This record gives sequence, C-alpha cells and structure tokens, in this order.
Amino acid sequence: MTRPEIQQLQDQQAYLTAAVRALLEGQWCGGPPSGQAFVGALDPNLTIDCREPILESGAPPDINYPDPNESMPGQLYSWTCSACACDWLMRSYGRGFNAGDIYNSREQTVYAIGYPNNINSSYGLMDGSGSQLQRVLGDVGIQTAQGWLTFDQVYAIAAQARGGCMSGGAWYHWCGIRGVDNDTIWIANSAPGYMSVWSNLNRADFNRLGPFSCVMVTEA
Amino acid sequence: MDEQEQAQITQLQQQQMMLTQALKAALEGRWVGGADTVEGWLLAIDPGLTGELSPDPPSYP
Repeated sequence: MTRPEIQQLQDQQAYLTAAVRALLEGQWCGGPPSGQAFVGALDPNLTIDCREPILESGAPPDINYPDPNESMPGQLYSWTCSACACDWLMRSYGRGFNAGDIYNSREQTVYAIGYPNNINSSYGLMDGSGSQLQRVLGDVGIQTAQGWLTFDQVYAIAAQARGGCMSGGAWYHWCGIRGVDNDTIWIANSAPGYMSVWSNLNRADFNRLGPFSCVMVTEA
Repeated sequence: MDEQEQAQITQLQQQQMMLTQALKAALEGRWVGGADTVEGWLLAIDPGLTGELSPDPPSYP
C-alpha cells in the first residue's frame, strides 16, 4: 500500500519524465503528448506561452559553398570560354571532370556541353542564355537558375558566395562568378584583359558589355 | 516511515536528480548521443524506453 503523498510524487515524476521525453521528440506545444500538455497536467493553473524551437527535422539543409579561389588558367582556344566558366564552377565545388588536369577537365566539359552542336569553334556556345551549361551543371548535382540580370541583381546574388557563370552580349565572353570585391563583381576570367576586364567587373564594365545572362547556383 | 516507504522516497529522489540533470542537459543543448544528454538521462530514468525514443531535438545553427 502506497501512501497518497508518495503516490502523488510518483505521478508527478511520471509527468515530468513524459514532458522531457516529449521535448526530446520535438513535441513541444499543443495537446498531449506534448511538453506543454504534461507540464499543464502537473499544474493546471499554469498559463504557458509555448514557443516551438526550430527542430533538426525542420532545419534548412546545410549550404554547400564553392571555393571562390579555385584557379582559372587562361583558355587555349578562343571559343571555349563558356566551357572554361562551366568547368571552373564545377571544380570550385569539387566536381570537375578531372581534378588533376584542368585542361582535360575542360575538354571533357566541352563534350558534355555537346560538341559540335551546342558548342563549336565557329560560334562558341550556341545558346547564349547558358541552358546547356545549366544541364551539365545539373548532371553533377549543381542546380542553377538563369536570368538576364542587372548589375545590382548580380552583385546581390554574387555576394551570397554560391558561385555562378555569366556572359555579356557585347562582351561575347563567359566567366565564372567568384563573389564580390568591394563594389565590383569578382570573377574567374579565362581571358584576363579581354576588353579591359581582368578579375573584377565594375558597374561601368557591366553596362558597357551587357546584357548579361547569369547562371546562378541555387543548390549544390 | 516503514522500509517500503523509505525505498520509494529514495527512488523518487534519484529520479528527481536524473530529471534535473536531463533539464540541465536540455538547457545546455545536449539532447542525444551520450550519457550526459537528455536522451541518456531519460533512459537512465526508464530503461524501458530503450529503442522507443524518436529524437527530434532543436537545431542550433
């Protein structure tokens, strides 16, 4: 026979244990079996302003960032800038076709884009929006969005440091997007100095060389 | 107080200590994966929960 006082303590202990279990299992607020409900059972006079935390099951996935300092050697052929930019972006995420040989990696990128129908020595990349680059990137798990963007839009996205590629219509050249550097867009340029652009693209360059099609990483 | 009551009180005291430790672990963000975690203390309180828990702890960015 258990004394009523001890029985009450045992019941309260069971409620406390159940409350802690509910919190561990992510059931914080609302009706039973929540932490709020068990604490409310312990003391029905309590007014609980219950606030749920962000749980591991609901937390956003970790963002995978590229290495913005990934090297960009000069291009060997005049028509391969898009492949160089695409290959750079893949390598910056550690997903290049050949980590030990950049030029081989670029060659494989040319074929992945689709030589000669999608890229060739006469025109370079056939679809200037970058749709074939998006396909190749998607095949290695780098999801992208494309848009014809303003300098401010590209700058804002580049500042997120997720990487990308872009091409200016008047520039007729693709480059990788490393990030931002002060008030310029920091680029990975396989033709440094071409049309007076090196490793940074400022607002005046952007307006002079556009319009720009931008392929920006959304998930990788 | 007889012997049985003393044993019940002792058990309640031990459980209260473990619940206190569980709450301390929660406040300190240790939920799973060890003895000094919420999960560890709950299993110590009630070994019958082994294999029954489905942890979904808070995320700490």
